[in-house]
Amino acid sequence: MTLPIVVKDLSFQYENDAIYILRHLNLSVAKGEIVAIVGLSGIGKSTLCYCLSGIIPHVYGGMMEGEVLLNGKSTRDLTLPEIATNLGIVFQNPDHQLFSFTVEDEIAFGPENLCVPRDEIARRIDEVLEKVGMKEFRYANPQQLSGGQRQLIALAAVLSLQPEILIFDEAMSQIDADGREKIKEMMLNLRADGKTIVIIEHDWENLQIADRVLVLKGGKLEPFTGSLS
Amino acid sequence: MWQAAALDPRTKLFLVLIFSSLAVFIKNVYILLLLLFITLLTVKVIGGDITSIFRKLQRLITVFVAIIVIQSIFTAEGQVILQLVKIKLLTDVGLLRGVQTVLRFFIVIAAAAIMTTANPRDIIQGLIQWKIPYELAFMVTIAIRFLPLLQEEAKDTLTALQLRGVNLKKIPLFKRLKTYSYLLMPLLVSVLMKSRDLSVAMEMRAFRAFPHRTSLRELHFCQADYLVMAVGMVLFLLLLMISVKIN
Repeated sequence: MTLPIVVKDLSFQYENDAIYILRHLNLSVAKGEIVAIVGLSGIGKSTLCYCLSGIIPHVYGGMMEGEVLLNGKSTRDLTLPEIATNLGIVFQNPDHQLFSFTVEDEIAFGPENLCVPRDEIARRIDEVLEKVGMKEFRYANPQQLSGGQRQLIALAAVLSLQPEILIFDEAMSQIDADGREKIKEMMLNLRADGKTIVIIEHDWENLQIADRVLVLKGGKLEPFTGSLS
Repeated sequence: MWQAAALDPRTKLFLVLIFSSLAVFIKNVYILLLLLFITLLTVKVIGGDITSIFRKLQRLITVFVAIIVIQSIFTAEGQVILQLVKIKLLTDVGLLRGVQTVLRFFIVIAAAAIMTTANPRDIIQGLIQWKIPYELAFMVTIAIRFLPLLQEEAKDTLTALQLRGVNLKKIPLFKRLKTYSYLLMPLLVSVLMKSRDLSVAMEMRAFRAFPHRTSLRELHFCQADYLVMAVGMVLFLLLLMISVKIN
């Protein structure tokens, strides 16, 4: 069976950087699994996240060795729009992801780019807003929502592309406790829908929902053997 | 009941183009005054805020006075009204040209107020339906959306400078300009980082996946739009003809 995410012997070095930030890293994530990746600040968590999502090598340059396979296909051979239908990514700062004047437009943006018919876009907007519990904010300005709500809208915008894999790059770091609980609840619901989830985190308190916790250290992933409680 | 504010944004854009073009073509002060009146009336009917136009103009009074004086200095013709040594500060022809320029400004600012009655998202959609490449239309969206945030960030950086003991009001002009360069650098870095993050987020949502894209919204012209555009066109030709005849 093809796994949603397989990372084979991945190494990465940024341009003008003397050392490899990721070194011979291997990872496999099964369908419907929540994997959390933790590590100290600056250790390469976001770099790994960019490699998983194809941002490296498609947007950011550098020396990338090894392979990242999404549903059996190398991110090198996939274009970013092709990756977008397989994998959605929610970044740390909702303000750097939302740019539309209404929640509805924000969610419609992705499907519009993929030339999804108008009726289907409207159906997807209804569906994802229902899923994230933000139906009453359909015509609201995202800038007038709280941090947690904005992050939920960023998630809804990603879900409208119907990806099977979701990556949360420290998506809970800039929101309040209520917002964090809502996002965690959403992740559990998404797992129940069969989505594969990778959480990049530095806050141990957000890891209870993970099936597996891995620690990024010295450019490699190690299983976390301690206790979260 | 027909609501003027519900006009298609493309119709409003068309009116803005007509009024602004006329303001440039017409030279006669009386016709310019008539055009100004028509523009203000249109803004009022469409539901725009006329007081905000006057508030904006109030801030530009010194600029307007400067324009009139500069026009006079560089206009050799006409009767001298005010002279300093051998420099003609104010001549009747210069004054007339200055007034023309100020009226043109006034008309363009008033015409632009028509667009404030339109939803920015609809304006973008209108541009896209006018076959303007959607990458350009999105640049406009993002500019409109991020400009207030940029202003806020500039204010925050300025406050941070002031909290470090920099009192801009007490600094001489040259030093103050140098201090503003300290404001510019963090602002520039922040903008570049924000735009980089935003472009990545957009690409991860399939931006520019295909040369074309579908749209959730679609604008349609109604009868009122055609009527307003026809009236606008007639007005354009009429005022232009009168202006040409008078000159």
